[in-house]
Amino acid sequence: MRMFYKWLALILGSAGFAGLLILLMVKFTPSPPESEIDFAREALSMAHRDKADTYSTKLYNEARAAYDSAMANWKRENNKFLFFRNYQRVETYAKLAAKRAGQATTTSQINSSSLKILVKEKIDSVNRTASEIDHIFGRYPLPSESRKKVANGNILLKEAEVAFYRSQYIQANSKINEAEFLLTTVYNIEFSDLKDYFKSLPVWKKWAQQAISESEKNKTYSIVVDKFSKKCYIYLKGVKKFEFDAELGINWVGNKRRMGDKATPEGIYKVVNKFQGKQTEYYKSLSLDYPNARDMERFKSELSRGSLPAWAKIGGGIEIHGGGGKGVDWTEGCIALTNSEIDVVYDIAKVGTPVIIVGSTKDLSLVLENDLLRNGNRQDN
Amino acid sequence: MKNKVLMGLAAVAMVAFLSSCGKVPQAKIDATNVAIDSARVAEASVYVPAEFAAVQDSMKAINAAVEVQKSKMFKNYKKIEVTLDETLVAAKKVQTDAVAKKAEVKKEVETLMTDTKAVIEENGKLFKKAPRGKEGAQVLELMKTEMAAIDASVVEAQGMYDKGAYMDALNKVKAAKENADKINGELKEAIAKVSGKKPAAKAPAKAPVKK
Repeated sequence: MRMFYKWLALILGSAGFAGLLILLMVKFTPSPPESEIDFAREALSMAHRDKADTYSTKLYNEARAAYDSAMANWKRENNKFLFFRNYQRVETYAKLAAKRAGQATTTSQINSSSLKILVKEKIDSVNRTASEIDHIFGRYPLPSESRKKVANGNILLKEAEVAFYRSQYIQANSKINEAEFLLTTVYNIEFSDLKDYFKSLPVWKKWAQQAISESEKNKTYSIVVDKFSKKCYIYLKGVKKFEFDAELGINWVGNKRRMGDKATPEGIYKVVNKFQGKQTEYYKSLSLDYPNARDMERFKSELSRGSLPAWAKIGGGIEIHGGGGKGVDWTEGCIALTNSEIDVVYDIAKVGTPVIIVGSTKDLSLVLENDLLRNGNRQDN
Repeated sequence: MKNKVLMGLAAVAMVAFLSSCGKVPQAKIDATNVAIDSARVAEASVYVPAEFAAVQDSMKAINAAVEVQKSKMFKNYKKIEVTLDETLVAAKKVQTDAVAKKAEVKKEVETLMTDTKAVIEENGKLFKKAPRGKEGAQVLELMKTEMAAIDASVVEAQGMYDKGAYMDALNKVKAAKENADKINGELKEAIAKVSGKKPAAKAPAKAPVKK
C-alpha cells in the first residue's frame, strides 16, 4: 500500500512537471504571423482577379516577390528549434506583400479603366477617319500603296474592336495604334494632295467662265467638262442647255502628264475633228486638239526637270466619245458619254467648238459637302 | 513491474498518436502540385483563368496552413489533408475543363475559318458579277485590295491555329470574317441595285487605241 502511494505521488509529480513544462513551452514559443500571411494572400488574390498582373505588372510582381519571401522565411524559421524561431521578417514581408498587392489592385483598376476609355476613344476616332476616307476617297483613284494601307488599317481596326469587346485592352490598344497610323497617314497625305490639287481652282473657274462668256458673246456652243462633278455641260449663248454624266480616264485626278498615264487632261481645247460609224470605235466622237501649245510646253519642262522619265511621250488622241454609261471612270483619258448623249453633242458641236476641261468648277468644301467624290455623276447640281 | 509495463505501453501509444497527426502530408502535396502543373501545361491560365487562379489560391493557402502547423508544438494536418484532397480534385477538374475549353475554342476557330473562307470564295464570285457601274471602279478596286488583306489575315490566323494559339487565331479570324461579311453585303447590294435596270451601253468592240 505504501508502495502504491509512492508510485502515485511520482506519477502525479511527473505529470504535473510535464504539464508545467508544456505550459511554459507554449507560452514562450514564438507565434507565426498567420493572419498577416492570410491577409497578404487574399490581397494578392484580389490583385490577380483585378488583372494587376497585366495592368500593374511592377507592383503585382513586387507583391508576389514579397509574399514568396515571407513564405521562404517562414519555412526557414520553422526548421529552427522551437525557441530559436523569429518570425519578424516573415511579418515584415507579409505586410509588404499586402501593401503592394493593395496598391497593385488600385493601380490596375485605374489603369485598366483609363485604358478602356482611351482605347474606346481611339476606336471611335479611327472609325471616323475610316468613314472619312470612305466618304472622301470612295471613288477617288487612290494609289495602290494607299489602298493597301486603307485595307490593312480597316482589318486592324476590326481586330482592335474584337479585342476590345473581349476586354483585352492592351491588345486592342496595340491594334488600334497600328490602324490609326495607317489610316491617318493615308488620310493626311491624300487630303493634302487633294487640297494642293484644288489650288488650281481659280484658274479652272476662270477658264470655265471665259468659255461661257465667249458662248454668250459669239452666240455659239461651248462645252465645259467638270472632272470632280463628272459632268459635261453644254452652253449656248452663255446659258446651260445640257448637262450629261461624264466618264473619265481611270486616273482622272490631276492633269495628263504623259502618254499612258490614263489621266484626262485639263485645259482649253477645241474640237478638231468629228467621227462616226466605222471612223470611230465608240459610236461617235469629237477629237480634241490635245496636246495644245500649253501642254507641249509643260511636258518639255517636266522632261527637262526630270520629273518625267526620258522615254516619256506626251500622248494624244483625246476625244469626247460614246460608249459611256458604265458609271465608272474607265477610259484611257477621253471623256465618255452615253450614245444618246453623244448624239446631242455631236449634232451641236462643230470643228472649232471650244471644250474646256477643268478639275472642278466648285470649291473643295462644296465638293465634299455634296459627296461628289463618292457619288460622282449621280449628283444633280 | 506490471505498472512499469503499463506506463511504457501508454507512453508508446501517446507517441504513436502524436506522430500520426504530426506528419506533413507530403505525398498529397506533391500529387496536388503535379495536378496544378498539368493544368498549367493544359493552358488553364488561358482557357479557364478564374478556375485556375482559384486552385492556385487554394494551394497557397495550404502551404501557409502547413507552415502554421509546423510552427506549432503539437501538429495536426488532418484538416489540411481534407483540403488537399479537395484541391487535388479541383486541379484535375481545371485541367479537364481547360482541355475541353481549348477543344471548344479550336472548333470555333475551325468553324469560323471555314465560314470565312466560304465568304471569301463567294466574294470572289460576286466580285466578277459586280457591276462596274455606279459604285465605281475605285470602290471595287478598294474592295479588291481589302479582299487581299482579308486573305492575308486568314493566312495569319491559320498560322496561329497551326501553332496552337487558338485564342489569338480566334480574334484574328473573327475580325477577318466581319470584314469579309461587310464586303459581301456591299457586293450584294451593288448587284441588287443594278438588277432590273437597263443593261449598260454595249462595251467597245475592241480596246481603245489612245496615245
